[in-house]
Amino acid sequence: MEVQQFSYDNQIVKKFIYATLFWGIIGMLVGLLLAFMFLFPNVTDGISWLSFGRLRPLHTNAVIFAFVGNAIFAGVYYSTQRLLKARMFSDFLSKLNFWGWQAIIVAAAITLPLGYTTSKEYAELEWPIDLAIAVIWVAFGWNLIGTMLKRRQRHLYVAIWFYLATFVTVAVLHIFNSLELPVSALKSYSVYAGVQDALVQWWYGHNAVAFFLTTPFLGLMYYFVPKAANRPVYSYRLSIVHFWSLIFIYIWAGPHHLLYSSLPDWAQNLGVAFSVMLIAPSWGGMINGLLTLRGAWDKVRVDPTLKFMVVAITGYGMATFEGPMLSLKNVNAIAHFSDWIIAHVHVGALAWNGFLTFGMIYWLVPKMFKTRLHSTPMANFHFWIGTLGIILYALPMYVAGFTQALMWKDFNPDGSLVYGNFLETVNEIMPMYWMRAIGGSLYIIGFIVMLYNIVVTVRSGSAVTDEQAEAPALTRVSSRRTLGETYHTWLERKPIQLTILATIAILIGGVIQIVPTLLVKSNIPTITSVKPYTPLELEGRDLYIREGCVGCHSQMVRPFRSEVERYGEYAKAGEFVYDHPFLWGSKRTGPDLLRVGGKYSDSWHLNHMYDPQSMSSGSIMPAYQWLVRDKHDRSDVEDKMRAMVTLGVPYTEEDIINAQTAMEEQAKQIEESLYSDPDFAKTYEEDKSRALSNGQEFVEMKDREIIALIAYLQRLGTDIKVKDTDQLLSENQ
Amino acid sequence: MSVIYVLLTISIVVAVIFFVAFIHSVKSGQYEDSYTPSVRILFEDELIRSKKNTSDQTVPISSKTNTKSKQI
Amino acid sequence: MDNMNCFHCGDPCDDDTILFQDKAFCCNGCKTVYEIFDSNDLKYYYDLQSAAGSTPKLMPGKFDFLENTEISEQLIEFNDGKHQIINLFIPTIHCSSCIWVLENLQKLAPGVVQSQVDFPQKTVRISFDATVISLKEIAEILAKIGYEPTISLADSDVKKNRDDKKIIYQLGVAGFGFGNIMFLSFPEYFDVNEYWLEQYKILFRWLMFAFSVPVVFYAGKDYLISAYKGIRSRFLNIDVPIALGILVLFLRSTLEISFDWGSGFFDSLSGLIFFLLLGKYFQKRTYSFLSFERDYKSYFPVAVTRILQDGKEEVAQVNEVKKGDRLLIRHGELIPVDGVLKNGAAEIDYSFVTGEARPVHVELGKKVFAGGKQLRGPFEMVADKKVSQSYLTQLWSHSVFGENSDSKFKSLTDSIGKRFTYAVLSIAMIASLYWMFTDPEKVWNVFTAVLIIACPCAIALAAPFTLGNMLRIFGKKKFYLKDISVIEKMAGINTAIFDKTGTLTTSKHDQILYEGSQLTTEEKSLLKSTLRASNHPLSRSLYALLKEHNIMSLDQYEEFIGQGLYGSKGNANIKIGAASFVDNCNENSPGTAEVHLSTNAEYKGRFVLESQYRHGISQLMTELTQQMDVAVLSGDHDGERNRLEALLPGLTPMYFDQSPQDKLFFVKELQDSGKRVMMVGDGLNDAGALAQSDVGIALAEDINVFSPACDGILDASKFEYLSSYLHASKKAMGIIRLSFVLSLLYNIVGLYFAVTGQLQPVIAAILMPLSSISIVAFTTITTNWIGRKIK
Repeated sequence: MEVQQFSYDNQIVKKFIYATLFWGIIGMLVGLLLAFMFLFPNVTDGISWLSFGRLRPLHTNAVIFAFVGNAIFAGVYYSTQRLLKARMFSDFLSKLNFWGWQAIIVAAAITLPLGYTTSKEYAELEWPIDLAIAVIWVAFGWNLIGTMLKRRQRHLYVAIWFYLATFVTVAVLHIFNSLELPVSALKSYSVYAGVQDALVQWWYGHNAVAFFLTTPFLGLMYYFVPKAANRPVYSYRLSIVHFWSLIFIYIWAGPHHLLYSSLPDWAQNLGVAFSVMLIAPSWGGMINGLLTLRGAWDKVRVDPTLKFMVVAITGYGMATFEGPMLSLKNVNAIAHFSDWIIAHVHVGALAWNGFLTFGMIYWLVPKMFKTRLHSTPMANFHFWIGTLGIILYALPMYVAGFTQALMWKDFNPDGSLVYGNFLETVNEIMPMYWMRAIGGSLYIIGFIVMLYNIVVTVRSGSAVTDEQAEAPALTRVSSRRTLGETYHTWLERKPIQLTILATIAILIGGVIQIVPTLLVKSNIPTITSVKPYTPLELEGRDLYIREGCVGCHSQMVRPFRSEVERYGEYAKAGEFVYDHPFLWGSKRTGPDLLRVGGKYSDSWHLNHMYDPQSMSSGSIMPAYQWLVRDKHDRSDVEDKMRAMVTLGVPYTEEDIINAQTAMEEQAKQIEESLYSDPDFAKTYEEDKSRALSNGQEFVEMKDREIIALIAYLQRLGTDIKVKDTDQLLSENQ
Repeated sequence: MSVIYVLLTISIVVAVIFFVAFIHSVKSGQYEDSYTPSVRILFEDELIRSKKNTSDQTVPISSKTNTKSKQI
Repeated sequence: MDNMNCFHCGDPCDDDTILFQDKAFCCNGCKTVYEIFDSNDLKYYYDLQSAAGSTPKLMPGKFDFLENTEISEQLIEFNDGKHQIINLFIPTIHCSSCIWVLENLQKLAPGVVQSQVDFPQKTVRISFDATVISLKEIAEILAKIGYEPTISLADSDVKKNRDDKKIIYQLGVAGFGFGNIMFLSFPEYFDVNEYWLEQYKILFRWLMFAFSVPVVFYAGKDYLISAYKGIRSRFLNIDVPIALGILVLFLRSTLEISFDWGSGFFDSLSGLIFFLLLGKYFQKRTYSFLSFERDYKSYFPVAVTRILQDGKEEVAQVNEVKKGDRLLIRHGELIPVDGVLKNGAAEIDYSFVTGEARPVHVELGKKVFAGGKQLRGPFEMVADKKVSQSYLTQLWSHSVFGENSDSKFKSLTDSIGKRFTYAVLSIAMIASLYWMFTDPEKVWNVFTAVLIIACPCAIALAAPFTLGNMLRIFGKKKFYLKDISVIEKMAGINTAIFDKTGTLTTSKHDQILYEGSQLTTEEKSLLKSTLRASNHPLSRSLYALLKEHNIMSLDQYEEFIGQGLYGSKGNANIKIGAASFVDNCNENSPGTAEVHLSTNAEYKGRFVLESQYRHGISQLMTELTQQMDVAVLSGDHDGERNRLEALLPGLTPMYFDQSPQDKLFFVKELQDSGKRVMMVGDGLNDAGALAQSDVGIALAEDINVFSPACDGILDASKFEYLSSYLHASKKAMGIIRLSFVLSLLYNIVGLYFAVTGQLQPVIAAILMPLSSISIVAFTTITTNWIGRKIK
């Protein structure tokens, strides 16, 4: 009832800002390193945990969940308290949220380079970390909702709604996409297989973008842009409509990541339809954001904060226009697997997420440290070099994308491919990769300038203290217009609503129950010739996953003449029924591998892995010499097979008992076939004898990792050798 | 493809959650005023701290100003 | 100093500037407010928006009536003895500073728990602890800081709000259903008999059914109900074909999925209802901060001070005043009832009643009339009627205020709807008859298909969106209409009637002309200095109109109530006022307001103050006479006739000395002779005519202060453009007709598919939203285009 004194928790905001800056620079440096690996493939020569395949997921995870994630928390924790006129619900939860999240990031930064990955994009982290994420995320939501319940401001500003939606949806997405069956402490298999896994993964993948990179930032936009410009949002009514329409459409758009894949057409088209519809709410939001600055352009000219925000919102507009375009089937046929997509996501990430974060930080830090920004010229420099960086990054990638797509599809009059050798299409776009690296560097230089600028500002400022504030408590009386009742009074008063929520909770529980049974049932092979992987191939597949090969090589031949001509028979849904997880990939830096089995000799693969350039000169694939060197630990293959059985893969009990011997035999065969290459036989025997003479223990070739990988590669796509497509289609469902 | 069942259920459940939230927020009068909140967020409430020192010489609004208003 | 503006309210401070903390203030009121904010740490008020304040005008005792519990009972929204909530209407709310300071009210008024502003409604919702602070105190504090609440018993209804909410719920349900059904129905369009799709078809279809049930029976229920009512009252409104379409869609779809004939039309169904509701919502939007329904009650004080036999004063509700009651009317209060002046001096401003701004002096024992406003201190009067029987207020006993005008008005859409329904039904019949002989299988299919595809969604949308948008555009031009039907009525007007005083003339600034012998500069400065001392409205306006002269301080100044002023400096003295008051004045022409003056007992001459006519009225009148009959109805004597004739086009009929009732009957007669009448007035005395006329438009200098019940409120500054607004509304109706044609074309296309028995769900799903959306787009664009052309 009476006016209450309370204080806003600024410490936690400060912590999150620091974390944002720290992880931001790391994530981007990793990205830069990767960009340079396109130019100097073996720059991290022979260091397994610095290889491209393992660093790529680190980069994506670091920038999305570490940089953007911490930025979200910083902004949410700052604005929520003020919008609700209340300190966060629990300081403990705030701290748990902060330290828990940082711990998760550190865990990711360790496990990913060591090759512990599920290979599902933006969900690479292994099951223990997935659990941790769930816990910490719930802590965050609990804290958020708790604060809403004890708020002193009756109206929930639209930003809060965006935050809430973020929490709910990301929780659901994360849980259902991460349903996996553990094999060992850091190894698990997705419960879904093949097409289904792909569908769930991209239902998640798209919505991760939607609800982790978009909705929370829209919330931040609706708070920080008006604050920085000191004028109300252009149309609050529009922002409300924006929220609700976005919420009801976004969730359906996922399948547009799987166009022309083996996903049923109607599911693909559904994705397309809703992706196209998305443009309306997205642009509604963008226009609302830009028009907020209408009449404040004089401010924009002098204030770097606003400059950053303007470019951020523009970037959002561009990305959300490009998105629906890309999900149109004919556009997607060109853009998919190419560098166009890389350009698309980086416009979103660098402009929308990056610049909005920078703008927010430039506004927040001086405010919280009760001082002025150390140097505005520096901030302006950051702005300009950053913008230039984005342009220099995006444009070349667009060009690269077109070039690739055109070359991949280019036919000679006689019906043969003009660029039969994939390598030609790679070397063609090297200049673009150069420019991309330069653009990225500029962007990072800007970031570093900001880092310095902020550090000096912080030094000059006074220590951050929790801000005192006072506001009357929200009155709990229910007047004629039932205003001013909070959620739990609402619940207490209305048992109906309570039951609704309860049933929903039960529903979710029930779903989790039935999922596995459903999935197992539908995993019965639908193409008779498709058989489970042999134990050795299974192990090889896990190596393929560990090294992140999927980052550069797709396993999805789309039904285009050009692709069938280049790679072979296009992919059928029935081929993937044993693939836990699916490995379709989303980018072709190298050629597709779905039909690579039997294409090259075993020794070709060995040498290629040892020194790619020696086999195909000008290749930008890094060497994987440790695969050729290291002994392969195949001890837990039985557990893996048992896990597969629970997931519906028909291994018999005796298959599992004889697994070790089976592997031994298959390995021996490969070793023998390697001997057919005289050079190999010679060098290998030399090594062997040298080792023995020096008394070192020597790893037999058959026991090395490379053997398993070769076994897997040679198996790929060989289940379907028949060319009679009609018959296949009839069997294939 | 029976995973469709799963995704469908989840999607609809999520949609229903938001729908309930929507109905409730309308019921509790959240959207009766679709302008004032956008202005309200611009106010800084920390300046209340400076109150302590000035509060002692607050003008007793009742007495002093009555006399003034007569002169109008 | 003259070019300085008040730090608080921003008005220019003339020579009596007050300096405080080296800030300029135009008056003590403003300065006081600044002091209050300053010392209560609310100076942020001025940072938010400079010179945001408004000058407080508190009359002591004005809010005493709030102590009377049965009055406050009716005002307070929630009361549990200790904790109370009130919703106050504060016209002066206008910027972010206002919001901020009002929401920090608890700093000024201990005991206030929370206050929340609703800016669009210009209200503040205050919850307070009744044991610490009383409603009266809150009202007074608000008034002191320049936010005086307007309290009247008339406007305290919450119903409107609830209706708005209902439509939002329905929109939510429809939108939710629409979205999900779309998502579920698409697959079958994209890819028929794919293996997995076959598996899910059943699930998808029944989910669609589940979603569509609330859409039809909750979101769409109003259409079903209204159609039912229409049929019962033998009147086929537009909702009949709509309801028909909805039901048939639902039934056929349900049957289709239960017998696996097809996927049904659930997406079209929910889409249809969604769009219809959108249109409804659009047409509901109106100006919540204006009230078009006010009668005299909302403008009269809630309560008056009654003096009992023993001389004690008590607060009594206005409608309790009886014949013979002795009432105390304070400075600035309104006279609630006709009566006789008993003691004190009455200087009464009848501008609210007649529009005439110039105050009238009333002798003791003479009659004072309800609606007048006292300008000079308190007086006592004896009521000789009940409030409802006063000369002015008995007007409201007339029937026009009983019935609501809309009932007699039949909209274009509805009249179309009738023919439309017949057409559709006959087409359906003929088609099914044809098929009965050629291919009986198809009869059911065709019959339903016709009803489905012909469902006049687009027609139903045309009017709401066109007129709704026009309403918005007019609003931007400061022409506020009650609802969209007014526009339709405006388009049909063929007679326009204008009140004179306050409508054709402004109540603001007067024209002045001096007749008499030349004044010396000394005399002029003496004159001005004398006027300066007086608060009398005449003196104020005269003072304002005179040119600059060096002000001197007078040796002697005296004001003779109701007669004039006397001032002297040195040996020079001056008398200003009525002819009878100044020395040896022999001329006296009644009617025109004039101020005579004499210096040193020598008659100098007179200032004649003429009411000034609004800018561009003759222009406006000429435009109007080309389109319709125009007449002028005036409440007062015909002294102005000649000036009017000069201004208005020849033979514009003029009628003077018209009582409020006369005006009402005048309009009625015209209507009985088949005219469709627009009345333009401003005062309460026009209220009858405004209510009776087909379109009653109230002119307002400031739309926040009182205006009588009407269909539209026009900002006085825009008066000259009135004809262009009428023209625009005609154009709007044209647009509606055009969009009818457009939607008919869509229907014909659809009917082709329907009649030939080949209507696929996908066709309906494309055609129906397409027609609706294109209608909405068409109307919005064209109306904006019209809007850009009107001033």
